[in-house]
Amino acid sequence: MSEPPKLAERLLRFLVGGRDADAVAGDLRETFDTSGAGRLWYWGQALSCLAVRFSLYRRAIPGIGTDFSRALRRIRRNPGYALTAMLCLALALGVNTTLFSFLDSLCFRGLPVAQADRVVQIRRHDLAFSTWPEYFSFRDNLRSVEAAATSLYFDSMEVDRTGFETDVETVSSNYAHVLRLGTALGRWFGREAETAAERPAVISYRLWQTRFAGNAAVLGKSVRVLGGSYRIAGVARPEFSGTVPPFATDAWLPVRPPRLGGGSAYLIGRMAPGASIAGVTAEMRVLTAGLRAAHPGEEILAAPAVVRRYAGIVADERHSPFFPMVTLLGAVSGMVLLIACVNVANLLLSRAAVRQREIAIRQSLGASRARLFRETLAEGLVLAAGGVLLGVFFGSGTGRALELALPSIPDPIWHGLRLGIDWRVALFLAGAGMVCALLFSLPPALANRERTLGPSMKGQAARHFRQREIFSVAQVALSLTLLIATGLLLRAADRARHLDPGFAYDHRLFVNLWAHGKDANALVFPELKQRAREIPGVQDATLAWEVFPASGAGCAAATRQTEKKQVRANIVDPNYFDFLRIPIVKGHGFLAPSPGAPQAIVNQSLAQDLWPGEDPLGKTIWMGGCYIGGAADKGATVVGVARDAKYDAVNEEQQLLYYTSREEDPGNGYFSLLIRTAGDPRQWTRSLLELVQRDGRDLRIYDVDTMENSVARSLWEVKWQASLLAALGLLAIVLAAIGVYGVVACSVAQRTREIGVRMALGALPLDVQWMVLAHGLRITAIGIALGLPLSAAAVRLLRGFLYGLSPFDPVAFSAASLAWIAIAMLASWYPARRATRVDPMTALNYE
Amino acid sequence: MRQAYLGEFEQIVLLAILRLGDKAYGVPIRAEIENRAGRKVTVGALYATLDRLEAKGMVHSWFADATAQRGGRSKRYFKLLPAAQEALSGSKAVFERMWEGLHV
Repeated sequence: MSEPPKLAERLLRFLVGGRDADAVAGDLRETFDTSGAGRLWYWGQALSCLAVRFSLYRRAIPGIGTDFSRALRRIRRNPGYALTAMLCLALALGVNTTLFSFLDSLCFRGLPVAQADRVVQIRRHDLAFSTWPEYFSFRDNLRSVEAAATSLYFDSMEVDRTGFETDVETVSSNYAHVLRLGTALGRWFGREAETAAERPAVISYRLWQTRFAGNAAVLGKSVRVLGGSYRIAGVARPEFSGTVPPFATDAWLPVRPPRLGGGSAYLIGRMAPGASIAGVTAEMRVLTAGLRAAHPGEEILAAPAVVRRYAGIVADERHSPFFPMVTLLGAVSGMVLLIACVNVANLLLSRAAVRQREIAIRQSLGASRARLFRETLAEGLVLAAGGVLLGVFFGSGTGRALELALPSIPDPIWHGLRLGIDWRVALFLAGAGMVCALLFSLPPALANRERTLGPSMKGQAARHFRQREIFSVAQVALSLTLLIATGLLLRAADRARHLDPGFAYDHRLFVNLWAHGKDANALVFPELKQRAREIPGVQDATLAWEVFPASGAGCAAATRQTEKKQVRANIVDPNYFDFLRIPIVKGHGFLAPSPGAPQAIVNQSLAQDLWPGEDPLGKTIWMGGCYIGGAADKGATVVGVARDAKYDAVNEEQQLLYYTSREEDPGNGYFSLLIRTAGDPRQWTRSLLELVQRDGRDLRIYDVDTMENSVARSLWEVKWQASLLAALGLLAIVLAAIGVYGVVACSVAQRTREIGVRMALGALPLDVQWMVLAHGLRITAIGIALGLPLSAAAVRLLRGFLYGLSPFDPVAFSAASLAWIAIAMLASWYPARRATRVDPMTALNYE
Repeated sequence: MRQAYLGEFEQIVLLAILRLGDKAYGVPIRAEIENRAGRKVTVGALYATLDRLEAKGMVHSWFADATAQRGGRSKRYFKLLPAAQEALSGSKAVFERMWEGLHV
């Protein structure tokens, strides 16, 4: 008689599962044997079991309940070990949760509005798509997308004669309609705002709470901002903080067409039903072609339109300054999680070691390997579930702690970050928990597999022990790597804190201004500077086109014929160098202008670059002419060389830069007024603003801040990274120390009998203590030996964060290794002490 | 209470189990359906239906001890629960009322 096909039977077992599969296979076998149906028939029948597999009413895998109830019972019997495992996991998961929420709001999260997946941003690379007049010309003709326009301003808002700094979005009147926004109070403005006599404004929930104490009487209040008067019509929902993250918008103001000379407008749109990203892109391309024809020579229009789904802050922008940091954080938190998993696997292994007799007996009574594996997995899942629950608890805690502990994050920037736990984060957490459960169920299950019954039943097995030691070594190596990386970053942060920007920034306040018309430079600004000097307590004042952090660019070359290179540029008052204590190392500062003899001052690096080995004084520098629509090609005589300084960031590479005199160069309407004060410069903010508002009637005010703040802001990233990594490194060490402790303690427990015999034969307590301690140190030594090359390979990735510190900094490497040895001694000390307390009689009766 | 609805195939399976009494396991159930209703049924379709009926509380199943026959595999036996009797007679009554006075 022929046998049914084995493979088909296996398929059947896979599809049906458990004892049910046994019954079905039996039925088929019976029919197969009696009716003599062919193998093909058998295959067809086996395949038909797909119906059973995917039935909604499929019976649960038989016995799964038992697995879990057994796992729970085991955990109840040894709550200490279960709690340790869950805590290890929860700590790692909690931190990972926080980091994930951070990454999520940076990279993935959409706007908190209805159907957020239909919302797109339309830009030209990273630039604004159009200007306001252009926007008003095309907005009603779009088919594939409803588009709203928005611009962001920083300005002080004045309510009841008090002013405070705000981030303001000026938006098209359809903004709320496009985004389907609701309010917490009052209502959003619509198209009627374009013609209404009184302009409405909507303020953020945060502003409402912090400035108006959540008072409903805020509606109808009049506010002054961006040089105009508005009446508050509504308060936005708490979760909505604007469309220009990471900035959090405080107020939204409607823009009236045509808004001439109003600068660039960022587009945010909602795709029409049935429209796709590709469709919108195509329409924007056609639109751009039309705009190019209407505005020939407009540089911004050369870049192609980019349409993408609105998500996160850095989505798709790989060159974003956040990107390296994001990668680093991801890698580090993954490592912490891995250490935690190894830890729990270690714990499970030691449990398995304790249970080996029970397991061996069950195996010899016919329990299958699959069954034992399922039990370990069930135990892992229960532990992981506990870890996830605790992790959520820790996660919300660490999120808050992180928000508090992160130093010097510039206020406006991170209000947009949300570190709370939402469904994505919960999903991530659950997923991570599942993966952990699998990861740490595997080693004990594999250990089960290789067991030979004889020695196990007698209660001796050395295998686990090896395996657990290997795990501990891995933990030590991994956490050493983290420790070294943390040490490096802390040292780098310390270094960065002492970086010299090359100019004096204490007691200095600046206000960024813009005046309409080319003659403003000659008329408005010198007048303002003079008045500022007259404010009581102001020691000096100056004007500059750009203040730190500056991005002003120009072009320069040594001769008219050579191709110009892009450099930095600034337009400054003659007293600027004295004001900021930037020494002129050669030549002199700007003199009073004489017609036909323009002057320029270069920094040391530019002098070296344009005239290497020569004296730059008296040479002609050729500037401008490298931008479409930029300043025309012109020459100037170099009258001085200024010492190098930092211009855009404290940690930047040295930049090339030239200065021209404000008395000769009209600039483009933007100037910053800087004052030096006798005391804390913040006390002069009010008087400076009043001066500017009173005397410069048509000025637009962009930003008021102390120079000290600007410099500190440029360092926050460094400090932030270092403190975050320090926290993670600490966590990794705690986890790894628990690991070493666990291994040593367990080995002591297992060697109780041996230790008892030794003591009975006259071993001194000190000998026994040393034996145990040496075991811990041996693990650590091997871990460090493996960890050092691993670290050397890993820290090379940190090069970009180190500000000139060598990644192989011997201080960081040796300090981390020594710290680890100390930690290992501590972790082994307690088990060692306990070992000597073993009473020989008890030990010999053990088992 | 709303009458539990039974599909045609469910009715056939239930009736087969009822006819077989205490001999109702996979092989005879399929044979019964094949002989009386003239339908070929795959094991997959049958067990999916049986699992569903069990979930609905219509039948109860248990495993008999394995014997030397059929490769030592145990049999899964089925019996009707009171809910199934009620549902079957309900369905029958519905059809009888609908057929009353009709000839096709």
